[in-house]
Amino acid sequence: MDSPILIGFAAVVLLLGIIGLMFTPQRLKPYLALGVIIIISLLTSLPAISAILGKPITEVFHLSGVFSEVTIKIDALSAWFILIINLTVINGTLFGIGYLKPYQHLKTNLAIHWVFLTLFHSSMLWVCMFEHGLAFLVAWEIMSLSSLVLVIFEYQKKDTLKAGVNYMIQMHVSVALLTIGFIWLYAVTGSFNFASLTGFFSTNGSFWLLVLLLAGFAIKAGFIPFHSWLPHAHPAAPSHVSGIMSGVIVKLGIYGILRVLSNIQSDLIIIGEVILAVSVITAIYGIANAAVKYDYKRMLAYCTIENIGIIGIGIGLGLMGIGFENKPLIILGFSGALLHTLNHSLFKSLLFFSAGSIYQQTHTRNMDRLGGLIKKMPQTAIFFLIGALAIGGLPPFNGFISEFIIYSGLVKGLTIGNLSQLILFVLSIAGLAIVGGMSLFTFTKSFGVIFTGSPRQAQEHSPKEVSLIMRIPQFIIIAVMLSIAIFPSFYFTSLFKIVTALFPSAFIGTPIEIPMITTISIIGLISLLFIIILASVFTLRWLLSHKRPTSVNSTWGCGYTGSIPKAQYTGLSFTRSFADILSFLTIEKKNYNKISKTDIFPKKRTFSSYYFDLLEHYVISPLTRGINHSMNYFQFIQNGKIQAYVLYGILFILLIFLCTIFNWI
Amino acid sequence: MVSLILIIATSLFFTGIIIRTKSIASGRKGPGIFQPMKDIVKLFKKGSVYSRTTSIIFQIAPSFYFASILMAILCVPLGNYLGVISFQGDFILFAYLLAFGKFFMIISALDTGSSFEGMGASRESLFSMLAEPAFFILMGSFALLTGQTSFHGIFSTLHYGSHISYMLGILATFVFVIIAMIENSRMPIDDPKTHLELTMIHEVMILDNSGFDLGLILHATNLKFAMYGAIISNFFIGDLSLMYTIPIFFVVQISFAIAVGIFESFMARFRMSHNPQFIFILTSVSLLIFFGVLLLLERFAK
Repeated sequence: MDSPILIGFAAVVLLLGIIGLMFTPQRLKPYLALGVIIIISLLTSLPAISAILGKPITEVFHLSGVFSEVTIKIDALSAWFILIINLTVINGTLFGIGYLKPYQHLKTNLAIHWVFLTLFHSSMLWVCMFEHGLAFLVAWEIMSLSSLVLVIFEYQKKDTLKAGVNYMIQMHVSVALLTIGFIWLYAVTGSFNFASLTGFFSTNGSFWLLVLLLAGFAIKAGFIPFHSWLPHAHPAAPSHVSGIMSGVIVKLGIYGILRVLSNIQSDLIIIGEVILAVSVITAIYGIANAAVKYDYKRMLAYCTIENIGIIGIGIGLGLMGIGFENKPLIILGFSGALLHTLNHSLFKSLLFFSAGSIYQQTHTRNMDRLGGLIKKMPQTAIFFLIGALAIGGLPPFNGFISEFIIYSGLVKGLTIGNLSQLILFVLSIAGLAIVGGMSLFTFTKSFGVIFTGSPRQAQEHSPKEVSLIMRIPQFIIIAVMLSIAIFPSFYFTSLFKIVTALFPSAFIGTPIEIPMITTISIIGLISLLFIIILASVFTLRWLLSHKRPTSVNSTWGCGYTGSIPKAQYTGLSFTRSFADILSFLTIEKKNYNKISKTDIFPKKRTFSSYYFDLLEHYVISPLTRGINHSMNYFQFIQNGKIQAYVLYGILFILLIFLCTIFNWI
Repeated sequence: MVSLILIIATSLFFTGIIIRTKSIASGRKGPGIFQPMKDIVKLFKKGSVYSRTTSIIFQIAPSFYFASILMAILCVPLGNYLGVISFQGDFILFAYLLAFGKFFMIISALDTGSSFEGMGASRESLFSMLAEPAFFILMGSFALLTGQTSFHGIFSTLHYGSHISYMLGILATFVFVIIAMIENSRMPIDDPKTHLELTMIHEVMILDNSGFDLGLILHATNLKFAMYGAIISNFFIGDLSLMYTIPIFFVVQISFAIAVGIFESFMARFRMSHNPQFIFILTSVSLLIFFGVLLLLERFAK
């Protein structure tokens, strides 16, 4: 079948699905939603796969007004993101069916949720398809709003609603920036298409429009200092939604950035340097904050910021490669970034799903109240462990492959460039290394505190392993992750095609060999070898020691044989010395009342402490407070008198009238 | 392949030499140099005691730790002779393999539910995190100097010509010696002979391990020492033939072990709160090496 027909068919399926979801009984809604999402995914994956194989699709629709020529385009880059979206959303929906089981009493919430989940999925696909700027923005807005509805699933809770409003405002700042950018583009070139950016950048200075668009997309992607919506929205949302949001919605920011950057003609090196520097700082900032958080979902949200930083390092590197006209560097940079995009969407959704399983069973997001869950939920523990190893970039998992490609790019960069660029590269290598170390710290803490040891606080209900439908998507994710780790050359070859298609002008001339392809395939074999060695050492140990006598006793406690679960190291105490070293970045705030001199008899006291986000506390919050304050002066406009509102209307019409008379617009 | 055999051979007596040196320095005769290995063999034959708090993690961690170090050793070449695994950027794999083993040791320490072991886990993960950038800056600098990105490529093309290059070699040796001390939890970061749990780092993490698992962990430490010794010896070997390589290798390994022994005999451990500062020195020394490389390549002139 023709690809445009498939896409149109997907839209029809969505429409029918949404209508159907309104009339099906509550019991069947999740399954209908899942069916609709799977059908749409199939319909859109087919054209995407053919686009990656070298047959991009362009289809122009003629409508009226500014939408006179709406182009739908699926090139290799869109296709890559479409496949990521489909995989993550299907997994998320499967998990969501199980995760939302305990919320059956919230009938309205659930009905709304399923409708908007299907809409959210399609809107993300549209974002990747529309070449026309305004249509793109409409899809972008549908995506933001539908994800908002998903985030505030439990809108009866005040905190959730607050996080939702925060998310909505920040997303609209992003939309406002992008809208201004596209209108500017239209005013100058007469076209809304992404492709016309090329013309704009080549004739006019690229600086301000570039800043506008990149800032707009960076808010979505979560680069600092635009990251502050992430740590609020992710914990508030239901876990499958957090998984999808962290897995793909922030990646669409990356998609936008790549789309814009693919049109730049000049100043590539300096733009690349700036992106590289910002990304390294983003990565370090994200993981340093993740390390000190004891709300495990918030920890994962900060960890997303770190990974966005790593993706950004790849993008910056690739751009510098175009500037240097060094083809291997372009390939390594961009394919590292794109592969890490896929990898992160896999292991981050895996981690959010297993975090959701923990939350469903224990009803707390504070890891310091947990402990010893590996005995109650062994499979969830293994899922989280695999996610933690992969996100730390440890072999034999997929995270290592993409981090290795980015490292190789940085090392390759050392052979080119001038003194300042060399220093930037070496500092980036060191930055990436310390990010790796901190991520090891963060995830040993999280896994250790949540799953091992003994429970730090008695649970009301004894936690048990989650249902099969919640575990299936996690098995699927692990299978895909291992396929990347063991057959990286397959993915790398596809990425090579995507990158060459994205920057055709950089690859004019003699066709090049895929750089490092032998190394990449060797790493796949090494992953396999490592798994074999791990298994064989463990088997050897079992063979040699299973016949020896073993006994079970209590943990060594300097002679004390009782168990004191409260004396175990908590997440807070684990990070104590780390936070002290980074005290300029991770600032602790303690809430308690000092004992006054007149307090003779002790009363009941409370103490709590938390680490706050430096940038949010000192930059974002004062800024919003300032805006809030200045907005107070315009309160007289909203005075509740209908007469005044009618007057505003008349004034507006008068203004338009005058404008047309004097030809102002 | 040569390096694998030599490293495994060295690991049999490396700690023995350290202990012997320390004994002689303190006026005792001391045990033979194969005594630590005999102890490990004895441990392999023993049964185990497990804490009732522990889970499967505690059982698999020592094996995984040992396997990851074996795998890391496969990456190490010997002068002109390739390691079993050799490709562009293998030093990245090397660092991440070691991190893999560390990950499992840390969560296995937390698995016992002991406050002591949690403390050790926290310290170990913090200190190894701080040492990470030094290694990468160092290897990055040598990659820049030689234009190669694998261990073998870097070591076989490393030539000493000018004064600066000798200085770089010395500094790199210093950095690797200290990294080896941190990774193996020796003085001045950690004291393996201390008897107070509160002052331990690595030792406190393995308080509850016994029998076969303890043997694996102890021998993994020996292997790690020999592995770092092999890397250090590579700075002196260059592309000589096997006839010279093997004697140089053993000379470097033995003098490394004796140096560690002497160092530990005449120095006290740092205060725990000073350790991070000390480890940060490594990163600055690595940066010094980087600037030395820039000088050598005359990049400042451009």
